[in-house]
Amino acid sequence: MTRSFIVSACVTDADLAVPELARPVIAAAEAAGLDLLMLGRAGARPFDAQVLAAWAAPLTSRTAIVATVPASNAHPFHVARALSAVDFLADGRTGWSVIAEDAEPGAAADMVRAARALWDGWGADTLVIDKESGVYLNPDQVVRPNYRGPFFDTAGPVNAMRPLQGQPVLVLDEAAPIGIDDADVVLVDAPDAAAESARRLLKIAPGAEVDSAALAASFDTGEIDGVHFMLTESAAALPAAIAAIGALLADRPGTVPAITGTLRERLGLALPQTASTQAKGAFVPEYVA
Amino acid sequence: MSKQIHLWAFLQGIGFFPTGWRHPRARPEGVFSMEYYARVAKMAEDACFDAIVFGDQLQSRGAGGRTPGRLAMPTLDPVSLLMAMAAVTERVGLVATVSTTYNTPEMLAERFAAMDRISGGRAGWNIVTTAHPDTAPNFGEAELPPKDQRYRNAVDVVAKACELWAAMDRAGPALPQGRPVLVQAGQSPEGRDFAARTAEAIFCPAANIEAGIDFRNDMRHRIAGVGGNPDGVRVMPGLSCVLGGTEEEARTNHAAILDMGDVPLAIEYLSESLCCDLTAYDPDAAIPVDDILAKTLLPPADVAKSVRPAAEKGTPLGDFAANFMRHPRGHNVFIGTGEQMAEMMIEWRDSGACDGFTLQPSYMPGGLEDFAEQVVPVLQKRGRLRTEYPGTTLRETLGLPARLKVEA
Ligand SMILES: Cc1cc2nc3c(=O)[nH]c(=O)nc-3n(C[C@H](O)[C@H](O)[C@H](O)COP(=O)(O)O)c2cc1C
Repeated sequence: MTRSFIVSACVTDADLAVPELARPVIAAAEAAGLDLLMLGRAGARPFDAQVLAAWAAPLTSRTAIVATVPASNAHPFHVARALSAVDFLADGRTGWSVIAEDAEPGAAADMVRAARALWDGWGADTLVIDKESGVYLNPDQVVRPNYRGPFFDTAGPVNAMRPLQGQPVLVLDEAAPIGIDDADVVLVDAPDAAAESARRLLKIAPGAEVDSAALAASFDTGEIDGVHFMLTESAAALPAAIAAIGALLADRPGTVPAITGTLRERLGLALPQTASTQAKGAFVPEYVA
Repeated sequence: MSKQIHLWAFLQGIGFFPTGWRHPRARPEGVFSMEYYARVAKMAEDACFDAIVFGDQLQSRGAGGRTPGRLAMPTLDPVSLLMAMAAVTERVGLVATVSTTYNTPEMLAERFAAMDRISGGRAGWNIVTTAHPDTAPNFGEAELPPKDQRYRNAVDVVAKACELWAAMDRAGPALPQGRPVLVQAGQSPEGRDFAARTAEAIFCPAANIEAGIDFRNDMRHRIAGVGGNPDGVRVMPGLSCVLGGTEEEARTNHAAILDMGDVPLAIEYLSESLCCDLTAYDPDAAIPVDDILAKTLLPPADVAKSVRPAAEKGTPLGDFAANFMRHPRGHNVFIGTGEQMAEMMIEWRDSGACDGFTLQPSYMPGGLEDFAEQVVPVLQKRGRLRTEYPGTTLRETLGLPARLKVEA
């Protein structure tokens, strides 16, 4: 089986909240063929990444935006709503990364579980939207999750649809564990054989030399599935830094991930096991202008 | 210069009429598609609307734990929808409804600062305190705080958010407007006082011109009473419409929208409005007043006022529900030609009933399209509606200073 090699980067400059500076960065990520562009990272969340992810949705057609979500200063009901909307706007190319920030231990994991439960309250085949019969949706597909956790209680159903991907792709940094062991993508410090089914991306520290041969070897043995560049450049310098990644990976090992389909489909990721164990994202009847 | 009319497009879900999603020109699937939001945003910007506003609720539609099958839902997060629209427009304002009861000042300040920056100064906040009892359990609480407490809390939350914005603006990058435009829609004395102290634009229902004049006078009086400038606040009553080439055609179009409603839809809509599931009752039987008052999560006295008169007349439940659905939310619904509608709007504006209107399209996107095609050009020809934006920020668009001076 040919595997695809995933290319990711994170950016942290607060000036990315300015549209004149953010547009060239998004465009550079698309042009360089980045699969994931993560806004913020554990320990550096300079702006409201959920707002930026929504804004970037119509500006991307390939790169998936990953929003870092703090466990403090956020509530899972709002997070579930925002990321559901973003996932539709971005045609199923949404990722999220929950970080502890100043929250108490355990709050970040609780945030993940609560949001997952809210999304799962809506079945994949809820929407009918049949003008003729007047049936808009199938109420049997909607359940009240009644989530109760150590930090968050939320009854639901959430006033948002199950995301297009079912669940946005969860990206976690191995070096900043939050107590969730079934992330979709894990950012790792060193290549290492691992049993987990997550995609493993090797972190490349700011300014570090990239040894393409070593990367290819780690990829071939299955120790990594791609790379994640930790970019610390200012917003103005980021387009050039991202273009350099593109040049470096022009001859990446493995195959290039497909550029159509949801991010989850492109990365070949199954949905996490949750209470409802549904295999699919939301079905939406086609919009014809 | 003759008085300018401000226009806001109030979009929530699929339009004003509960039946609207079944209209042949409605595109309910669009609410899950970027292409639809881009189309609607450009339509509003081409028509020079001040702003697009998304209403919002923090509970899923339904009653008594039952999700309706015939109402258009769910509604997606307004902040996300507006920010995606920001990326495909340049001038139109973007106003999100966000609750002070279920967000902290820190959450609000961070969110609206990001919105104002990334939209280049086009963000507005419709400040609501959240009135639906089903919301509380979504945030781990048994009940909503009482209204007076919600409004007291709102005062503190807004004050704290303003402090945080001032600090964020100093730290940079600058907030293009200093802080977002503040909008409110209080009706009760507490709500009106809060609006008078806080808001730069105010929404209200006004079923007729007299109600508009009374409300605007009352608000101007309250604003002056707290040392504010009444001319610095835009009063924007809600307005829906069904248009036609002739009056008769408009009436036919209106009847067609209402006729798309059947009894099961009407009962689901009534159930939601009364916070009591009525779907298991016989629509041909009497209104089950005692059950409704026992089960509703709303103040029973308020509910009694809306159901008792019909019950006493012996109106069957199904008929009551069908009639209830024909008059959503007490707003002015104009039925007539584009020319007539423009005439009415000018009359309201010139009599001091409003500074402009919060248009609630009857269904989407056809209702907005009709207004943009049939009413906007008439208002522009009469010199009552701008043909281009005066600046870049929402404050400039509203005729207010471009940026609020940030206190040191
Ligand atoms: C045009 C208009 C739009 C409104 N939109 C919302 C909304 O989207 N979400 C919400 O929770 N409340 C909304 N409200 C309710 C108001 O915030 C307010 O609670 C209501 O007018 C009753 O006033 P009171 O709170 O002073 O009793 C709206 C009111 C009006 C008139």
